[in-house]
Amino acid sequence: MSIDGLRVVYITDESETVAVDSFSLDVKKGELVSIVGPSGCGKTTILRCIAGLLQPTEGKVTIGDKVCTSPGSDRGMVFQDFALFPWRTVKQNVKFGMEIAGVPKEEQEERAMRYIKAVGLEKFADSRIHELSGGMKQRVGIARALVMHPAVILMDEPFGALDAQTRNIMQEQLDKIIVHSDRTIIFVTHSVDEALYLSDRVVILTKRPSSIYKIVDVPWPRPRDRASPEFTNLRKRILEYLEQQNVMED
Amino acid sequence: MSTKYDEHNKYHRFARSVAITAVSLVVFLCIWWLVSKVADNAAIPEPVETFSALFSLIQNGDAVTGLPLSTYISSSLTKFLSGFLLALAIALPLGLILGNFKTIREFTNPWIEVLRPIAPIAWAPIFILLFGYIQGATFVVFVGIFFPLLTNIVFGVSKIDRVLVDASKTLGASNLQIFTKVLIPSTVPYLMNGIKVGLGIGWMCIVAAELYATPLGGIGFYVANMITYGAFPQAYAGIIIIAVLGLLTTGLAEYVSKRVSKRMGMDVRCPRARSRSKARNGARSAYAPTAPTSFTRTYPRARP
Repeated sequence: MSIDGLRVVYITDESETVAVDSFSLDVKKGELVSIVGPSGCGKTTILRCIAGLLQPTEGKVTIGDKVCTSPGSDRGMVFQDFALFPWRTVKQNVKFGMEIAGVPKEEQEERAMRYIKAVGLEKFADSRIHELSGGMKQRVGIARALVMHPAVILMDEPFGALDAQTRNIMQEQLDKIIVHSDRTIIFVTHSVDEALYLSDRVVILTKRPSSIYKIVDVPWPRPRDRASPEFTNLRKRILEYLEQQNVMED
Repeated sequence: MSTKYDEHNKYHRFARSVAITAVSLVVFLCIWWLVSKVADNAAIPEPVETFSALFSLIQNGDAVTGLPLSTYISSSLTKFLSGFLLALAIALPLGLILGNFKTIREFTNPWIEVLRPIAPIAWAPIFILLFGYIQGATFVVFVGIFFPLLTNIVFGVSKIDRVLVDASKTLGASNLQIFTKVLIPSTVPYLMNGIKVGLGIGWMCIVAAELYATPLGGIGFYVANMITYGAFPQAYAGIIIIAVLGLLTTGLAEYVSKRVSKRMGMDVRCPRARSRSKARNGARSAYAPTAPTSFTRTYPRARP
């Protein structure tokens, strides 16, 4: 997958704001790339462009040799505030995309249950969304994206709405899912710790207009030890990069 | 033997509310009795006379026309129900269209603004002239229910959670599929709210329309007829029936709406914990928020 020369300009009545400028990135199959950056920079904007929910002013997104211009189920998205359909049960939420795609009923059932099991919610398959905790809701969100077998999964601060403890548990679970599959994931977060724990590469953005400031490789095997010296050292370095961004702007 | 009142005990709470209601009704009857004594006017009968007239009405029907009470009730309810169904059949598709298409909404806004504030009963003489006594009353009910329904549906459509639309797009949904699978279900709680408000108004309309002496009955007709004969206790008995039926209809609507909202997992009265931007694009003039909560999210638009 590749993102090529992305530029997004927001226009209001009074002004034009360049949110993202000349952002290019190649993501290999099976890779997890995190995007971190100062708050208010265009992290989410980039993700929405890849998803096709936002038309970039310039630039293009390609998967294989296909140029993506509109949303499609080849790019699954996991939202920060879950975006689950409250009138559907857990299983019906997971089936939504397959209903759209016209997958046969039996296959829908089988695939839905397989992914609900993968995220550990088989006891809650027929529960309604408001009966679930935040962490469980996001696991439904992940299962709903995974079940479509997308070429790439876009995660927009997926654990941002969760408390610190649930967050850690969710990171570990996601890590397990990654190890067991060759998913391509683009993961937006403001937590450096989360980025280092999960990703193969961490992309650090500049302040608005966002472009790539640095890319840091994270070559360690999984699961990673957050307390190890190389982990803490790298975290410190990335935090320094982010700090520099803030200073440069002022 | 004395037990202390416990706020957390459901039976205690129930007993408390029953006791308060009972005392309240008794006080009400006392005031009524007092007013009738002080006023000393035939137009304000005593409670006792009224209730004996009520029992006679329930047992023997209307002494003047010889019709049983059930005929009146079913006549009123039939008109009420057909008016409601007609309003629903038109307001639902129209509301979805107006909610979805800004230009059509802006185009029809002046019509709605002009027609909406007119008291439905003002149409009664015209409708009765145009459609006859029975259909005329039905159309008055229709007008009464139509506007609250329409405004609530349009409001519901405008309040759709944008992030749900985004989610369904990333799952491959087309515009039509978003309409049927996301927009319609998420509007249902607002529709129920509109039905709740509409039924209350509709019930007032039916009785008022029947006061224009509908020959084939209806409770409103009974009340109006009794007043022309000077039979005030009987008229009041009719008013009590109207009140009770009104309570039952709105109570039923309330119950159904609560159940539906719960089933849909979206009680419109309880705000979502996380709502980002304030409803900047919220209620426009004609579409006043009878449903209170907002959970919209707006995104800026990039230049194409």
